[in-house]
Amino acid sequence: MSSTNAITIKGVTKTFGTKVAVSNLDLQIPTGKVTGFIGPNGAGKTTTIRMIMSIIFPDSGELSVLGKQSAVESKDRIGYLPEERGLYRKMKVGPFLTYIAKLKGVDGSAAEQKARAWLERVGLKETWKKKCEELSKGMQQKVQFISSVIHEPDLIILDEPFSGLDPVNRRLLRELIDEQHRAGRTIIFSTHAMFEAEALCDQIFMIHQGQKMLDGQLADIIAQFDPRALVVEASPEIETSSAIATLTRLSGFERVRPDRDRPTVLECTLAEGVTSQDAMRRVLDALPVRRLERKRAALEDIFIDVILSTGQNGSPGGMNRFDPEHREKLKLELATAGSEPNS
Amino acid sequence: MKRTFLVAWREFTSVVLTRGFLLGVLMVPVIAAISIGAIFLMRNQQAPRAVGEVAIVDRTGLLTDAIRKQFSAEGQKAEGAETTAKINQQLDKLPLDDAQKAQIKNQTAAQVENASDKSDLNVTIIQPGDLEATKEQIKNAKIKVSDTEGEARPVIALADLVPGLITPNEAGVYEGFKLFTAPKLSFEVQRRIENNISRAIVDVRIATDARVKASGMDAGALKAMLASPRAETITVSTAGETKSIGPLRMLIPMAFMALMLISVMTSGQYLMTTVVEEKSSRVMEVLLSAVSPMQLMVGKILGHMAVGLSILLVYGSLGVVGLLISAMMDLVSPLTLVLLVVYFLIAFFTIASLMAAIGSAVNEMREAQTLLTPVMMLIMLPWLLWMPIQRAPNSMFSTVLSFVPGVNPFVMVIRLGGEESIPTWQIPASIGVGLLAVVFSAWAAAKVFRIGVLMYGKPPNFKTLVKWVRMA
Repeated sequence: MSSTNAITIKGVTKTFGTKVAVSNLDLQIPTGKVTGFIGPNGAGKTTTIRMIMSIIFPDSGELSVLGKQSAVESKDRIGYLPEERGLYRKMKVGPFLTYIAKLKGVDGSAAEQKARAWLERVGLKETWKKKCEELSKGMQQKVQFISSVIHEPDLIILDEPFSGLDPVNRRLLRELIDEQHRAGRTIIFSTHAMFEAEALCDQIFMIHQGQKMLDGQLADIIAQFDPRALVVEASPEIETSSAIATLTRLSGFERVRPDRDRPTVLECTLAEGVTSQDAMRRVLDALPVRRLERKRAALEDIFIDVILSTGQNGSPGGMNRFDPEHREKLKLELATAGSEPNS
Repeated sequence: MKRTFLVAWREFTSVVLTRGFLLGVLMVPVIAAISIGAIFLMRNQQAPRAVGEVAIVDRTGLLTDAIRKQFSAEGQKAEGAETTAKINQQLDKLPLDDAQKAQIKNQTAAQVENASDKSDLNVTIIQPGDLEATKEQIKNAKIKVSDTEGEARPVIALADLVPGLITPNEAGVYEGFKLFTAPKLSFEVQRRIENNISRAIVDVRIATDARVKASGMDAGALKAMLASPRAETITVSTAGETKSIGPLRMLIPMAFMALMLISVMTSGQYLMTTVVEEKSSRVMEVLLSAVSPMQLMVGKILGHMAVGLSILLVYGSLGVVGLLISAMMDLVSPLTLVLLVVYFLIAFFTIASLMAAIGSAVNEMREAQTLLTPVMMLIMLPWLLWMPIQRAPNSMFSTVLSFVPGVNPFVMVIRLGGEESIPTWQIPASIGVGLLAVVFSAWAAAKVFRIGVLMYGKPPNFKTLVKWVRMA
């Protein structure tokens, strides 16, 4: 590939009626990387993906996909798994995959071979002659995933690939995505599951209310959102309350509080000017510990934090970004807000 | 282009290779053929029989012998021969070749030959005083089709014959008679009894009439004189003289139109259904990531055109085979058949484009109904127009309709099927109008389709569709 960016988006805006779905978006997706599109429901993820796919066209701005002006010119090199799952209900699985492969430019006999190989790979060998409507939801999703990668595209775009899968199939899909990644393909996937995003992504792109919120390497973003805290778990023989007392007495911590879900795990926020290195040394001197580590920002926390900092959802200014109580409340709000349909 | 054909091929096979289609479309002619065959077979069967007594109250005292003669075995055979003669006369009018006619005639003749020597119906003469008692018997009579050993035949009918049947009143008018029959007696047997008695009455009238006797006229000659003459109608045309086939002629324009409507409607419906299905099952996006909306729409339309053409060919060729068998092929010229296909294509593309557009705009079949109403009206119109156009293919009304986009392929097909030839210039001109309609509807459909396929939510109304068409 001539350019190092698989996708370049410059100043793209898309409105539906009066609603601005994507506003003045700039984005580069590097070739060969796994990029996660995150953002709450209705943020503009699917709209952005559909514009990349040239299914809809931007009102203004420029877009280049695999070095071409539009995805139409490089459709065969792109694999796409839409958010809404769709298969021909009455069509048999084998012929369906063969048909899709042929539509994407794979030759007749090769198309059938590939379809067979893929079905075997995901453990659906027996479904070749079954009608799509006879498959379970998870099986259908696997078939759909195959339909998006069967023609060995350079760029794979997966809209919510993990939704509705059980843990076993989630793992299988993660392996399949990873395999595509190792084969040097550029992968974009949108997701609500921050855990999957953290596990798979090199790059993160976050969009909220049509605007880019985050864009960069996952490691950088996580570093940028360093919560400046230690996670301490005292040895089992020590009472949690006495451990809290000991740690509070130590200088260098702004606050010590037990984890919501696991009360024996203590979260110690660093005071201004104290390095984590120093703080760890002090903890070790004061307390026998079972576990001691720097708290790492979870993508989920960053996600919620970013939305919070936009002022949406009525967040009071100056509130601690990592205040767990506030976070829980916000999660709830987001969850209810997220139930409105995606446009 | 290759992808358009891939789409077209899938559409075609996904419809044609389903059990529903094969049963629905291909089985109809088979079933029709079987039922026509069955009717022919059944015609060769004998009429329903019944054995029993026919009671007669002969108040004239003259009819007994004549009626007995009619109901005797010989009378029965004579009756059969007469019926055969009538059938043969009708048969001569049918457009079948001589060998076929001869075969049918031989069959019926053989049946008359083999008729039973024993009469099915006996005549019992009863006294006027027994009338009511006999009625009671008839009321409870069980109809039997053959004799049972040791059991008497039931009384199944009772005729009350009054003197006025033989002797007319002053004005020269004869009276009628009453025939009482058993409740479950079949219509054919009832008719036979009626006819036998009527014949006997006429025979006796002639035999006893003083005027006939005075003139010395033969009874047979008099009967022959009264029979209606048979007519042989021959159509004289430039092609020569042919036997006229009357009502069949009228059916051909109807058949043409029905053929076209069935194929256009069936394939158009299939097209719309698949578009709606792809949209509602969200396969649409997968497809659109591989082909453009235009390729998809054109592919679908071509695929379903093939479906429509196969229906047209299956039914059409059956019709042609039928005409060939009955030696009536000169009713339909090959050019007419070619034009039928041309007009089919025009009608199909016009209507299919609209169907594709409607399918793309809605989320499910239910929502399509409102948008479909105008299209349906367009399609139903030819059914209403068939009669007037068929009667006067070159009237102002028919000519004007031949240039109204949408209906004109149907109108032209009705006109072409008729006997009157239509001005030659009207054929290319109407095809031209049809092509313009095709271009327009395809253009509008393409615009709606491109926007519609990815629109979910509230189904658009007509105003919205027009807006989409106007959008660049």
